Amino acid sequence: MAALPRRIIKETQRLMQEPVPGISAVPDESNARYFHVIVTGPEDSPFEGGLFKLELFLPEDYPMSAPKVRFITKIYHPNIDRLGRICLDILKDKWSPALQIRTVLLSIQALLSAPNPDDPLANDVAELWKVNEAEAIRNAKEWTQRYAMEDN
Amino acid sequence: MESDDMDYSDDDDLDDAMDYYGNEDDIDNVDPKKTDPEFFMYECLTVDEVEKVLNESVEKLSNSLKITPSLAKVLLNEHRWNSNDIIDRYRDNASNLLVSSRIKSGNGKKVAHVTLLCPVCIQSHTFDKFQNLSCGHSFCKNCWSMHFEIQVSQGISTQIRCMAAGCDVLVPEDLVLSLISRPQVRDKYNQFSFQDYVKSHPELRFCPGTNCQVIIRSQDLSSKKASCKTCQTSFCFQCGNDYHAPTNCVTIKKWLTKCADDSETANYISANTKDCPKCNICIEKNGGCNHMQCMNCKHDFCWMCLHDWKSHGSEYYECSRYKENPNIANESAHAQNLIHLQAREALKKYLHYYERWENHSKSLQLEQQTLERLKNRINEKVMKGLNSTWIDWQYLFTAATLLAKCRYTLQYTYPFAYYASMDPTSSRKDLFEYQQAQLEAEIENLSWKIERAETTDRGEIENQMDICEKRRLTLLKDFFPTTTSDMNS
Ligand SMILES: [Zn+2]
Ligand SMILES: [Zn+2]
Ligand SMILES: [Zn+2]
Ligand SMILES: [Zn+2]
Ligand SMILES: [Zn+2]
Ligand SMILES: [Zn+2]
Repeated sequence: MAALPRRIIKETQRLMQEPVPGISAVPDESNARYFHVIVTGPEDSPFEGGLFKLELFLPEDYPMSAPKVRFITKIYHPNIDRLGRICLDILKDKWSPALQIRTVLLSIQALLSAPNPDDPLANDVAELWKVNEAEAIRNAKEWTQRYAMEDN
Repeated sequence: MESDDMDYSDDDDLDDAMDYYGNEDDIDNVDPKKTDPEFFMYECLTVDEVEKVLNESVEKLSNSLKITPSLAKVLLNEHRWNSNDIIDRYRDNASNLLVSSRIKSGNGKKVAHVTLLCPVCIQSHTFDKFQNLSCGHSFCKNCWSMHFEIQVSQGISTQIRCMAAGCDVLVPEDLVLSLISRPQVRDKYNQFSFQDYVKSHPELRFCPGTNCQVIIRSQDLSSKKASCKTCQTSFCFQCGNDYHAPTNCVTIKKWLTKCADDSETANYISANTKDCPKCNICIEKNGGCNHMQCMNCKHDFCWMCLHDWKSHGSEYYECSRYKENPNIANESAHAQNLIHLQAREALKKYLHYYERWENHSKSLQLEQQTLERLKNRINEKVMKGLNSTWIDWQYLFTAATLLAKCRYTLQYTYPFAYYASMDPTSSRKDLFEYQQAQLEAEIENLSWKIERAETTDRGEIENQMDICEKRRLTLLKDFFPTTTSDMNS
């Protein structure tokens, strides 16, 4: 593999020196393009108290192409499917080479605070979120308890 | 059906029709626009010819607005190549037009980029290494060119955007081409842009034929039949699918989707329903028991062999080689039965039309095979020199071509009829069904005569051809789909 571009080195340094509050992103020891990410469930969201593991990979043509991000921890969310894939515009057609790992992770954190059932990826979850938000939130809290707590 | 190696008909349908009627009507006085419901004026163009057409529009617009050809292309592509509309809007409010066409940024203020650090590669470069867009966003040329290459590799060309986050400004062609160095990538870019231009141009359609480069152009933007002169593929000029008159574009799409979706349900119905052997009403098997009683006439019969149940007695188990399905054995609530009944009736109706649609499609294929057989037999005759020459039999191939054309139209009357039958407001339903039945009868008649061509009189076949085509044209004249109003949409 070619030498790591300056851009990736710079971004990694900054992520380590000034981490985003509530988010940790650490490059893998053997692959500097692969990041182990942990996002803390935002306050006042059904994910509060949870620690969500994600993986982030910078493809060969990054930053011309968007990073690949996926939830590893199971999460009950209308824009995240069972395989952990995320429906987020900046990861797809709205990607810009001027965006960074940092902005992507912040957007994902924001998505946890503000689920958007009108642009669903997990259809059954989105459906419930629309017809019975209270029950959907109950499910999300339960999943957070069951899958995203430190002691399991 | 397309013309074959004998080359008896390489001109389009209009010419065919004119040949038939050439003897009867004085063509000079007949305006085909009025007499032929399928009349369609179009031309088949090559890529070079289309490029010329597009470039003329670009040049004209660029001259009258005093903008670069590259920007004129963006404007035309974003406005379906409607130059007059663009010029009006430009005169009215140039700035609005440029913003809505994503040539200029809506934010107004130009972002002055003073640092010499490129925000994408995070590297410092000298001033001349930077390139900015009309929005003011500036990045190093190296990053721009990588961005362009990646976009082109994803099939994106005219829609390549500025690299700044949230900036929608499009990168004009001259800038893209000036920064792409690899010739293959430039070719790809030009190729994709050309596709975008043709797709956004209302008068142009790519021929859907496999590997065909022809582009069809017409100013008549209706659901008429366009036939490519190079690969002979025919299609509906409006929607690009197979030609489908008298059904309109929306309805044929609905119908084809339904056919695809319902094939499973239809299979279920044919596996789980049979008609009562006595009164022929449709009965669904909703339990495992093969002793059926018709809810209409109370006839008792065996599901497996359709024989009278009484005749079975103790031999029942010998008749049935299948195991009963215990899961569905006891569900026969009356209410559920009613719902099933309605669904079944709806499906029966659909199947009625679908079977005819399918059947004519199969007949088309079979008739093609018949024609091949005929050809071989005629070949033999001609070889043996039995009082006939090749020319003497040409009329038969013309007849077969006409039969295929008529049957094709007949096939496409069924989706129309299906949706019309469900629309209580459709007042011309009866007329349509009458004409459909007439056409069907004459087509079967012609098919019969062609199959027995060696013994049928030539005059008789030609007379029948004439009747068929007239029926077909009458139906199309009365029911050719219009874009604005449709009896069955
Ligand atoms: Zn750069
Ligand atoms: Zn910009
Ligand atoms: Zn073609
Ligand atoms: Zn169409
Ligand atoms: Zn019966
Ligand atoms: Zn039986």
